[in-house]
Amino acid sequence: MDIAKVQAALPQRHPLLLVDRVLNMEPGRSIETIKAVTASDPCYADVPVGAEIGAYAYPVSLLIESFGQSAALLWLGDEAAADGSVLLFLGAREYRVEGRAYPGDVVRHVVHLEQVVADTAFATGESWVGDTRIAHIGSLMAARRPKDAVGTTSNEEDRHVRT
Amino acid sequence: MSELEQRYAELREIIAEVLEIEPEELTDSGDFAEEYQADSLRAIEILARIDKHFKVEIPQSELPELRNLKATFDAVSRHAGWQG
Repeated sequence: MDIAKVQAALPQRHPLLLVDRVLNMEPGRSIETIKAVTASDPCYADVPVGAEIGAYAYPVSLLIESFGQSAALLWLGDEAAADGSVLLFLGAREYRVEGRAYPGDVVRHVVHLEQVVADTAFATGESWVGDTRIAHIGSLMAARRPKDAVGTTSNEEDRHVRT
Repeated sequence: MSELEQRYAELREIIAEVLEIEPEELTDSGDFAEEYQADSLRAIEILARIDKHFKVEIPQSELPELRNLKATFDAVSRHAGWQG
C-alpha cells in the first residue's frame, strides 16, 4: 500500500499523517508499516542550531501516534476514514521506550490486532529502526465512535498514556 | 483455595490493574465508577481482559451491570457456566 492509498484510507492529514507505506498486511491479524523520519519533519522546526543530537530524537508521542495509525489501517482497512465516525486514541499500557529514532532513520512498526470489543480495538507490537527495537507496545487501545457521540465538553474520552 | 476462589482472585487482579489500584484496595461491592473513578472506557477494558483471560464473552449490553467486583464475577460465572 503506497502513500496515496494510505492517505485515502486514514482520516489524518499532513503534517499528522504518520504512516508512509504499508509493507505488508494480514487483514485483521497483523500489519507492517514504515515512517521515515527526516530533519524537515515539523517537530524539528524549533531545534536551535548547535543543539545536541538528543534534541533530534523523534518524539515518543509521535511514535505512538504513528503506531496507532498503523493499527487503525490494520483494524479498519479502507474504512478508517469513513464518514460519520471518528477514531480516538484511548491509551497505551506497558509502552516501553528502548531506543530512539533520528532524522535519516526509517521506523518500522509491527502491529498485531489482539481483540476488538465494543468497537474498541486492542493492539500490541513493536517499533524498529533497522535491527534495533526502539519500542515495545504491551497494549494500545483505540475506539471508533459516531461523530455525534463525541462532544467537545466531555472529558470521558480522555487521553491516557502510560509509559 | 478452591477453583472459584482462585478465579475470583484472578478477576480482582485484572480489574485492579485496569483501575490502577492495588488488588487489596478493591472491595467486593465498591462501585467502579463512584469509588474508583472508572469511566466507560475502563469498563470496556475490563470486558476485553475478561474475554482474553477467561475466554468468556460477556455481551456489551451487560456492561452497565459490571458495577463492582462481585457483580462482575457473577456475570463471568453465568456466561462461563461455573458452578458455585
